[in-house]
Amino acid sequence: MNAECGLNSEIRNPKSAFGEKMFGQLIVSGLAVGACYALIAISMVIIYKTSEVLNFAQGEMAMISTFVAFTLLETHQVSFPYTLAFTFLFAILLAIFFEIAFLRQAKDPTVLGLIIITLGFQMVLMGFVGWKWGPDQRALPFPVSNIEAYNFYGLIISKINFWTLIVSLVLMLILFLFFRYTKLGIAMRATQQNQLAARVMGIRTKWIFSFTWAISSMVGAVAGMLIAAMGVLDPPMMMDPLLKGFASGVLGGMTSLPGAALGGALLGVIENLFGGYISLSFKSVVAFAIIVLMLCIKPSGLLAKHYVKKV
Amino acid sequence: MDIKRNYYEDIELFKSNTILVWSILFLVFLAILPWLVMKYHLLGLSVYTVNLITVHAIVAIGLNILVGFTGQISMGHAGFFAIGAFTTVIFILKIGLPFYLALPLGGFISSIFGFLLGLPALRLKGPYLAIATLGFGMAVTTTIKHLEFFGGRMGLQAPKLYLFGTPMKDIHFYYMIMIIAVIMVIGAVKLIKTRVGRAFIAIRDSDIAAEAMGVNLTYYKTLAFAVSAFYTGVAGGLYAFILGFINPESFHLIMSITFLAMVVVGGLGSVMGSICGAALMTYLDIKLQAIQDISLIGPALVTFSQKYMSVAGISNIAVIVYGLILILIVLFEPLGIFGFWIRCKRYWKTWPF
Amino acid sequence: MVKKNLIFVGLLVFTFFISAPASAQAVRGVTDTEILVGQWGPQTGPAAPWGAVARGSDLLFKIINEEGGIHGRKFKYFLRDDSYMPAKTKAIAKEFVEQIGVFAVVGGVGVATGMTARDYLMENKVPWFSPVTGVYEWIHPIQKYLFAMYPLYDDEAFNLTSYLHEKLGYKKIAMFYQNDDYGKQGLMGVNRYLLKKGLKLVANISAEVTDRDLSTHALKLKDSGAEAVIMWAMPTHAALLLGETAKIGYKPQWATSNTLSDSALMMGITRGLWAGMINSFFSELPDSNNPLMVKYRDWHKKLAPQERWGVFYFAGIAFAEPFVEGVRRAGRNLTTESWVKAMETMKDFQGIGLPVTYAGLKDRQGGKHVFYGKVRPDGNIERLTDWIRITK
Repeated sequence: MNAECGLNSEIRNPKSAFGEKMFGQLIVSGLAVGACYALIAISMVIIYKTSEVLNFAQGEMAMISTFVAFTLLETHQVSFPYTLAFTFLFAILLAIFFEIAFLRQAKDPTVLGLIIITLGFQMVLMGFVGWKWGPDQRALPFPVSNIEAYNFYGLIISKINFWTLIVSLVLMLILFLFFRYTKLGIAMRATQQNQLAARVMGIRTKWIFSFTWAISSMVGAVAGMLIAAMGVLDPPMMMDPLLKGFASGVLGGMTSLPGAALGGALLGVIENLFGGYISLSFKSVVAFAIIVLMLCIKPSGLLAKHYVKKV
Repeated sequence: MDIKRNYYEDIELFKSNTILVWSILFLVFLAILPWLVMKYHLLGLSVYTVNLITVHAIVAIGLNILVGFTGQISMGHAGFFAIGAFTTVIFILKIGLPFYLALPLGGFISSIFGFLLGLPALRLKGPYLAIATLGFGMAVTTTIKHLEFFGGRMGLQAPKLYLFGTPMKDIHFYYMIMIIAVIMVIGAVKLIKTRVGRAFIAIRDSDIAAEAMGVNLTYYKTLAFAVSAFYTGVAGGLYAFILGFINPESFHLIMSITFLAMVVVGGLGSVMGSICGAALMTYLDIKLQAIQDISLIGPALVTFSQKYMSVAGISNIAVIVYGLILILIVLFEPLGIFGFWIRCKRYWKTWPF
Repeated sequence: MVKKNLIFVGLLVFTFFISAPASAQAVRGVTDTEILVGQWGPQTGPAAPWGAVARGSDLLFKIINEEGGIHGRKFKYFLRDDSYMPAKTKAIAKEFVEQIGVFAVVGGVGVATGMTARDYLMENKVPWFSPVTGVYEWIHPIQKYLFAMYPLYDDEAFNLTSYLHEKLGYKKIAMFYQNDDYGKQGLMGVNRYLLKKGLKLVANISAEVTDRDLSTHALKLKDSGAEAVIMWAMPTHAALLLGETAKIGYKPQWATSNTLSDSALMMGITRGLWAGMINSFFSELPDSNNPLMVKYRDWHKKLAPQERWGVFYFAGIAFAEPFVEGVRRAGRNLTTESWVKAMETMKDFQGIGLPVTYAGLKDRQGGKHVFYGKVRPDGNIERLTDWIRITK
């Protein structure tokens, strides 16, 4: 029973007009979902660029921010712009709280130790959301609909997907320019390359870290809201996107913001193409396999500079 | 005495008579543990839970060899665990091998996959290696799910094992698993003391310097993965039998992460630490339940939940506590339980000062 | 040095006296005043929405205790969280049998989780009533102490397909299913029916449980040109798929199994796209006027007002009522054997769930019926059929 794809249908003619459109549609859908992955990748890359920490709590931080937005929109009937503002504030406070209360307290931590701390925080957040809001699935009331779609030459893209693409590109561009050209951005890069030297040069590294986490958390909150609007809001909603986002970031290079966007787009498109034409069940596995292969050729990701350590 | 006079003293298993005596006492304790557990419900354990802890300890030791001693990272060890479990059961069910052959074979097959996973590890570091291992774990689970040969989506039922004709019960499993575990622990400790172990540690501390000193990176890195996979595969084979039924869905990413947590909490680079870490995390996982039934604070939590939170999700308090314990242990003792032990020893040794 | 060692040994000895040994009883789990019952369920983790079942059973036992118990005994109910992890489920099963000493296990969501406990419970002759999944594993092989009640997915799928084909006239049928035992057994049933009629599915699309992107799946379904699509999935996937197909303008007749019968929830998370769905149901509808339902709703308001009155919450009641009835029929002299004999006398017993019949010593599938309904645009259910028998 190897029939997982619709290719075993006797009625469909593979050379039909829809067949050609299918290719285009798969790419468009792939880019749409890739944009979500890109947003998560961006938020992880921002933190990694500054402190070389892999934030595995990213998904759950985004998720709890989204639940806060949900409560504001649904229970308290707050209008969307104010909800957005409050959610961002919450995201910033959450990130700064985590950074100061937990990460900074670690005395001489190993890289793995920091990862475990983020994993512990992820469990705490997941448990807290499950406790406060209960396990049931919800729908996030979002001003942009996922059903209404734009139709470009027969290719369909829903309004939310379209705006997700725009938002992720804009955010990526803003952050890229920020890191490259503003003083603060350069300070952040300096902190990652050599923390001690940065401090000697007068950079307030502690403030930089908090700022980094705050921005990352805000981007994560945006990702969370868009993903919930596209689908269902429930506590485990960010588990799979986090994985894919992490993979996208790795593919693009964990220190490169355009890389994160590129990685997301590639991952989404590869998954969809493979799922559409060959096998839906193995699409994630093959996508990861391709990432590993690409990494073997470029070990630090596609767009990041590969630093070879000098002894 | 901590001073070693020659090489043979350095690689001795028991550094002094005190350690030898305590080790023997500990082994005696292990031998009578099942009786204690069954009669007195020690700490609310059952023999099954102790078996589970032991199996996890073997995994933790295997993972520690890779992560703690060789400095690599793996977020896909559930994959090796699954390979070990499924191949052992398949060898017995479909090929008819006896258990004592199937188990090491399962471990061996797992180590082959470990070797294969070690190859990309030669080029990748940090998050890049994490993704590669993560993908591996996912690939294993998905592949097993889609092959009818492995029972497909329904999973496999582990066959009943017989010891001299009678079906094995928990307590028989206990002794079998404990003997295997002791052998593997001694193996791991010995491995670290040999040249192979020192090569691993050299790679962890600085792989470029190690290569300059003549340590063949390719050989030793893949060997680390293979040995680690072997340990995990054997543990997986045992796991299949204490559970009785294995399903590919249960070997998910969260399991890999739990293994990693066991190693970090216990102490990277310490065999004893891994055992403690595995014991603590497994115990917490199973026992941290029914918070609302705790006599003093339970009802208070329930009323609090009714006012501000949901009652449906009250069991999540256990998840919060588990996460907090994880964070706190790593925060206050980055060297894990082993670090805590070292501090205790140092405190006692230097007590009057 | 000696003092330090003494303290250490003292600590060791202290830990030996933490717990008292368990007391022995004439019948495990039954005392003069109490009957001990246990259930495991996923209260945390990704499967947490199904934890409502175990909490629903809790309500039922509370109600019975409030009404005086059965033959002078009250129920003591133990709810444990296994987070859908089989290793934990086995630990819970061992705790139930070895430490608490329950009379029976009721309910229990999950196949992989239940399967680790099944043989252990049966070997220890612990009655297990109604695991909350309709898979074959509970009745293949027939176990004396395992009484299944949940309608079989295979038979339900068979019957649903026949309803779509024969009663509603659909010829081009596709299936979307989840890649696990639940989904696969549904697929088996659908194929079994179509084979009988010499037909084939125009598309059979599966999705992994953790997948959150179903755009390709929707595309393939549209591409197949199916008039009706049978969905064997969980609420999240159903919502995602309906969203994706609506986006690309594909609107077939949807039909699904009773796991998605919580129409209120589904209407909410699909933002209204759930209208028109044909569902099967295993119990009375949430707002039904059935006197038992009315009584349970009143008690629910009194004892657990914070819980949502969702289909899977009162499923916990529906799948425990026959167990209680068996206890009642066994009389004051309640033993494992007397309970089993009482259960075997059950014929067309119905609480708020499906009618339960154990037709003979070798029949352990008590639930053989479902009924179909269609979701109206306002979210209410229009009953399409009465209780249909799906299992021989």
